[in-house]
Amino acid sequence: MDWLEFFRGPMFQIALLVFILGMVYRFLRIVLMGWKKDYSPPRGSAAAGVVKTYVKGLGFLPFLPPKFPGTRHRPLTYIAGGMFHLGLFVVIFLSTPHMEAWRSVLGFGWPTLPTPFIDGFAAMSMIGMIILLSNRIVSPVGRMLTGLGEWLNWIVVFLPLLSGWVLYHHLFGMPYQTIFAIHMFTVDWLLIWIPFSRISHFMTYFITRTMHGAKFGRLGVEP
Amino acid sequence: MSATEIIDQQALNFFVKNVGAEVASQLEACTRCGLCADACHFYISTGNPEYTPIWKVELLRRAYEQNYTILGKLKTAIGLDKRIDTEDIAHWAVLDFQACTVCKRCSFVCPMGIDIAGLIGKVRAGLTAAHATPPKLMAMTKNQLEKGSPDGSDEAKWAAWFKWGEEQLGKSLPMDVKGADSLVVFTMLELNSFRNNLVHIARIMNAAGEKWTLSLRARDAFNMGTVIGDGAVQKKLAERIVKVAHELGVKRIIVTECGHGYVTLRQAAHNLFGETLPFDVVHITELMGDFVRQGRLKLRKGYFDNEHRITYHDACKIQRIGGNFDSPREILNLIAPSSFVEMNLNREQSFCCGGGGGVRAIPEAYDLRMEAFSLKAAQMREVDATDVVMSCSNCRLQFKEGFEHFRIQGEVKGLVEMVAEAMIE
Repeated sequence: MDWLEFFRGPMFQIALLVFILGMVYRFLRIVLMGWKKDYSPPRGSAAAGVVKTYVKGLGFLPFLPPKFPGTRHRPLTYIAGGMFHLGLFVVIFLSTPHMEAWRSVLGFGWPTLPTPFIDGFAAMSMIGMIILLSNRIVSPVGRMLTGLGEWLNWIVVFLPLLSGWVLYHHLFGMPYQTIFAIHMFTVDWLLIWIPFSRISHFMTYFITRTMHGAKFGRLGVEP
Repeated sequence: MSATEIIDQQALNFFVKNVGAEVASQLEACTRCGLCADACHFYISTGNPEYTPIWKVELLRRAYEQNYTILGKLKTAIGLDKRIDTEDIAHWAVLDFQACTVCKRCSFVCPMGIDIAGLIGKVRAGLTAAHATPPKLMAMTKNQLEKGSPDGSDEAKWAAWFKWGEEQLGKSLPMDVKGADSLVVFTMLELNSFRNNLVHIARIMNAAGEKWTLSLRARDAFNMGTVIGDGAVQKKLAERIVKVAHELGVKRIIVTECGHGYVTLRQAAHNLFGETLPFDVVHITELMGDFVRQGRLKLRKGYFDNEHRITYHDACKIQRIGGNFDSPREILNLIAPSSFVEMNLNREQSFCCGGGGGVRAIPEAYDLRMEAFSLKAAQMREVDATDVVMSCSNCRLQFKEGFEHFRIQGEVKGLVEMVAEAMIE
């Protein structure tokens, strides 16, 4: 078995297992800590609050930052965050090679976008990440809040994007097998890393956003 | 273990004990992007990165990670993260009590939907458990527990105020009336600084034909337990009012121009007692709005229209998390349709005055709260407003001090006094 086969085969399966078990563990550990019941009488609909907060959180905040806080100071951080996440999800779910990988795991596939589009989204994602990293270096707030974990997370997420880009464009004259193996290695490492890091916010996001919408919806306030 | 180590441990235990799914999920969701900094009036006005809201939660995050996560335990074991010590506690006591008004502006900005100010409330509770709360706030708490009001005003002083009110009105005030619809609860800020509110509110209630009552046993809506994050104190103080409301069988408690007292009774009290209490808690702002909408209160149209430009300050507890946005605007659009002008950042986007959450009571925080107020002053300047109106006594005092500090000419008004003046009796 060569490296590529190893990283695509057994290593990938182990990584996937660590990822799934790790995330299930983290989810359960949070949820089982228990929620306190809110006895205060509602002034508005919690459900409506949840809907509004998702519309705002997923559709509005990342692309059209709110008028009130950051725009005057750092609209770029909101927008770069939006670019990075959108680009990443399009690449992961809507590119043909990745859909094929999903098909091998899930057993079914779906339509994908033409490769030049994917290429654009990948570039957008990487540019977004570079802006976010610059912010962490340049802004005093970013510097203060950035620790070892944040650096490692950035690297672990950036490497699969970069290696995928190099793979697709046949850059640096590297043999296809080698760069493909590197790409798969970075993907495996990302999967293993997620449950141990804040990259797991893709899951906690849905808990906190729902809580936020329900809480402020109940209070009768626009979340 | 030394005495300070024991105290540090108490704080840590408090943090650890109070971690439920709500806190854990929020701590885990934070990606440390720092966008909350731009929501905070303390950060914006000073540029000090330490005032970034999520940084004020750092102690809670460390306690959580060190006790609940594998990596956190590992990091502490190999020395990458250190346990919370006395120095940390003293440092964060300044950040969380002096540089945060718990205004919740940050909670609306976080892309992850984290209620950062809610978490800061938990940190305050831990700091109080570690005896790190600013001494002035502790003295006020002691006063309120012993005498009834945080400034030490006792029943006799309140009784004298009520008597003064009766003289001004020329008739008696309803006291402990069983079966009244509304129990009206004031605060010591009105007793000391806005004495006329008693007369104004009595006139408003009477004009609207409301069956209302006062009670010397349920006199001060202030709740130092909320400010310092001590649940036991919070419950004890809320109980004084809740008990009387039960006894008199009122349908609702009306909180006058106080923000935190209002949210404490409207939201926290039910959870402190573990049941949905059988009465509504209504802020005077929404009550006046209801009276006007129901036609029970007639206001002179355009009464305050003159060469002044009046703007409205949305208070954090009454508006941002209380949701009472429309009532004051409906009233102002009636009594000052031409003079009333909105600030550019209004409603839930409004900047805090800088004096809430106990900050105004802490002497050491004076310079910082004035820095924060400068944003509010700039907001007024932007729309050429000369006068400002609000329905929170604490904000009003902060504005008055701010006007004096920055030598701003203009008037700081209470919505209640404006309504009382413009009202047709």
